[in-house]
Amino acid sequence: MTDKTKMTLGRRGALALAGAAVGSGTITGFPTIWAQNIRDITLRQVGTGVSGLNAIAEQCKRDTGITLQLTVMDTDALAQRIATQSRTFDIADVEYMTTKKTYPVGTMQAIEKRRITNADKIVPIFTSGRLTPTSQVAQGTAPHTVGFVANRLATAFEPTQTEWMTLIPTIYNADTLGIRPDLISRPIRNWKDLVDPAFRGKASIVNVPNIGIMDAAMVMESAGQLRYIDKGNMTRAEIDRTTAFLIDLKRQGHFRAFWKTFDESVNLMASGEVIIQSMWSPAVAAVRSRGIACVYQPLEEGYRAWGGGLGIARHVSGLQLDAAYEYLNWYLSGWVGAYLNRQGYYSAVLETARTQMSAPEWDFWMEGKPAAADILAPDGRVMERAGTVRDGGSFTERMGRVSCWNSVMNEERYMVQKWNEFIAA
Amino acid sequence: MRAWFLAAPLALVLAAFLLVPLAMLVAVSFYDYDSFRLIPDFVTTNYVEVFGSMVTWRTYGKTFFFAGITWAITLLVGFWVAYYLAFVVEGTGKRTVLFLLCTIPFWTSNLIRMIAWVPFLGRNGLANRALQGAGITDQPLEFLLFSEFAVVLAFVHLYTLFMVVPIFNTMMRVDRRLIEAAVDAGAGFWRVLWFVILPLCKPGIAIGSIFVIVLVMGDFVTVRLMSGGQSASVGLMISNQISLLQYPAAAANAVVLLIVVLMMVAAILRIVDIRKEL
Amino acid sequence: MPGRLGRGLLTALFVAFVLFLYGPTLTIVVLSFQGPDGGLTFPMNGVSLHWFRRLFERQAVGDFGASITRSLALAAMVTLATVVISLAAGMAFRRRFVGSAALFYLTITSLILPSILVGLGIGLAFNQAEIDTHWWGSALGAQLTWTLPFGLLIMLAVFNRFDGAWEEAARDLGATSWQSFAHVVLPIVAPSVIGIALFGFTLSFDEFARTMLTAGTDNTLPLEILGMTTTVTTPVLYALGTASTLVSFLAIGLALALLWRARRQRA
Repeated sequence: MTDKTKMTLGRRGALALAGAAVGSGTITGFPTIWAQNIRDITLRQVGTGVSGLNAIAEQCKRDTGITLQLTVMDTDALAQRIATQSRTFDIADVEYMTTKKTYPVGTMQAIEKRRITNADKIVPIFTSGRLTPTSQVAQGTAPHTVGFVANRLATAFEPTQTEWMTLIPTIYNADTLGIRPDLISRPIRNWKDLVDPAFRGKASIVNVPNIGIMDAAMVMESAGQLRYIDKGNMTRAEIDRTTAFLIDLKRQGHFRAFWKTFDESVNLMASGEVIIQSMWSPAVAAVRSRGIACVYQPLEEGYRAWGGGLGIARHVSGLQLDAAYEYLNWYLSGWVGAYLNRQGYYSAVLETARTQMSAPEWDFWMEGKPAAADILAPDGRVMERAGTVRDGGSFTERMGRVSCWNSVMNEERYMVQKWNEFIAA
Repeated sequence: MRAWFLAAPLALVLAAFLLVPLAMLVAVSFYDYDSFRLIPDFVTTNYVEVFGSMVTWRTYGKTFFFAGITWAITLLVGFWVAYYLAFVVEGTGKRTVLFLLCTIPFWTSNLIRMIAWVPFLGRNGLANRALQGAGITDQPLEFLLFSEFAVVLAFVHLYTLFMVVPIFNTMMRVDRRLIEAAVDAGAGFWRVLWFVILPLCKPGIAIGSIFVIVLVMGDFVTVRLMSGGQSASVGLMISNQISLLQYPAAAANAVVLLIVVLMMVAAILRIVDIRKEL
Repeated sequence: MPGRLGRGLLTALFVAFVLFLYGPTLTIVVLSFQGPDGGLTFPMNGVSLHWFRRLFERQAVGDFGASITRSLALAAMVTLATVVISLAAGMAFRRRFVGSAALFYLTITSLILPSILVGLGIGLAFNQAEIDTHWWGSALGAQLTWTLPFGLLIMLAVFNRFDGAWEEAARDLGATSWQSFAHVVLPIVAPSVIGIALFGFTLSFDEFARTMLTAGTDNTLPLEILGMTTTVTTPVLYALGTASTLVSFLAIGLALALLWRARRQRA
């Protein structure tokens, strides 16, 4: 968004404006004059299965001629790859949280903002940290705090926007509790409901220290147990209190299991092993697509968010670097954005994504309106029936109520020790 | 000379792919680190943290517990399965078929099999439904999944064959005339077993025990998945540290684990010197 | 030898053991027939062959065909190398030689060192030396550090009480050491060699902790599956499990039938 539009953004203003911009023809879609010699280039991309989608590679080949060779792995392996084996890939599709740890290693190169066509249209969450000029910056490792460096080879993050970006943001979302309404009779309103003794032996949280501790912090605050100075950067005393609280719950047998991969969270919920847990929106959709009732439950305290983007490995140069930039530009030019939006994630440049979505789709996924027609999954199956409203509502309702981001804290080393203690208890 | 020549390939592979990483590991275990990078140095903080933390001791306790129980069960089951294959089943062909039958489940990726434990042992799983259907229980048994029971069950599932194979190998080498002689001398089944077969199978039992103990001590997947992330093991602790890029801590932990397990193996070899009985 | 009751009990134990081994496999087979809207857990949501069809189509994430091919090729290389190297080393270890104890303990160490650290170490070493990691290079080496200790230990158990008199007899009859190996030793240890090959193949085909950071750009099958579980997975994984079980049965059945026919023709 330009400075002028920023001033006038209301709750849904951003979307309306985006629509107007598309309508007025100021957006011409992605540049269509790709250099011919780029057509033979292969880019090797590593990332998780969340966005390492074959459909994207196929479309990329069609639109740009660039061959995208995708390798999918889990988040842990991805972090190792970037930190220790950057020669095995050209593009990394990675979370901002991971980037806080891996970028300073110096295996990636910064991306020149001026070469990114749609750079100014990126959702301001990634640049200023504020969805609207009046909104609060959420706690934790907010993407804009690890999004910029001083020059191409600098490894220290800059507090304010610069011309060099560590990642081009591509995908993000707000997580909350997922519940099985068929097995939970009372309304769920707060994070503290996760630890209601009524759900003993049927609750779960994420077993990734950086994410799980944030879930726990949301619960602690909600239950009035602790007021954090900054839950995205806890003090040792706060970490102690939080893990003691978790250990206590664990000893009572409150948790059925902890999940680590997307797939585990889906299976726990679908099999009925767990009826309330922190969850991703597409995971909820996956449970629901199996004919099992599952709700992505908005809570009063707000969401825990995460975001990811594409980075370029340091060794990439010359024609291949040009191709990498073409690829990034293509990524933000709409098709991928629409594809990701349709799966319940959010894309970084909304106005281009909108050009690739039908009006009912846009209204359902982004505006929080009742679906005007059946909403289809990418494989053509019906995902949501006409008339359904997306859990949590519109984009601004969801991303505007982010309370914290997945975090890498200054006391990370201590926190991991305490987390191990919790697991061993 | 000839022995060296024959052992050279093994030595070379291990030198390149084990000694080098191992040397790096030991070096890194003395490095310092912060959230972002390794700081080459010579500090003992990592070891101090390993030994100074109650978590380490508790985690080792739990790992020994898993290793002990798994070892006892796999030995008991593995010994009798090997006995069945060696002394009851007749003919090489039949034995081969039965061995292959036992191997086939392991050709499906472990990751897929691990996912399948949930619908097998879970609340609505096959096992619980069979138990309820047979009228043995009227409530689903919760401890079948995401518990220590589940961890041990999965270990037994994964590793019993590692016990069966070496024991079976030594059983096949038992000279049948010895058994006949013992029987002729009036020894009953249990006496033959205790005084003839068991002593002769000691190397096989030792090797099988090494396999099982080593596999359990280093495990980091089974414990996490089967306990639903609620139980710890040393391997899991190390893998957590690696995933958070805390390599020096992981390396120090690994060096300690290596020494502990080497001592366990040395103890087994003290009781049964598999090399002396070559 | 056990009496009739004993034999019966042992047979029952073996049958129970095999059933236990097939527990998860059975679940996989049942659930692979899930309806198109079904998931990886019960309840069944209809019955269909949908997921077997999907197995041969393009997946949303990952690629089965390419990763299976890689895994099979890698497993074949690992199996061959494991058999040859451990057989040679097993022969060497029949006599004590300078450094044999050290080599033995090094082999044990190889078994003990947590897999992820072996992988990490090799990955780091290759990166430092600026050699690219590949599944057919660094991952092959990484997997050998896993299969060779098994091979060697089984070989040690085999050569345990191996009667040297047969070789002496062969040598007395004028056989070269290669001839005595090929015609005397090898036939005797052949069943165990097949055992090692089976071990090597099974361990390699399913290995991922050591392979994860050494496979370079391309994934082997376990890595691909691990990657796939980071997003929505479907019973197509179970269909893969069922299909691989079926193929294994067919392959083994075929091999046995050929063996049986060959033996009958010889008789």
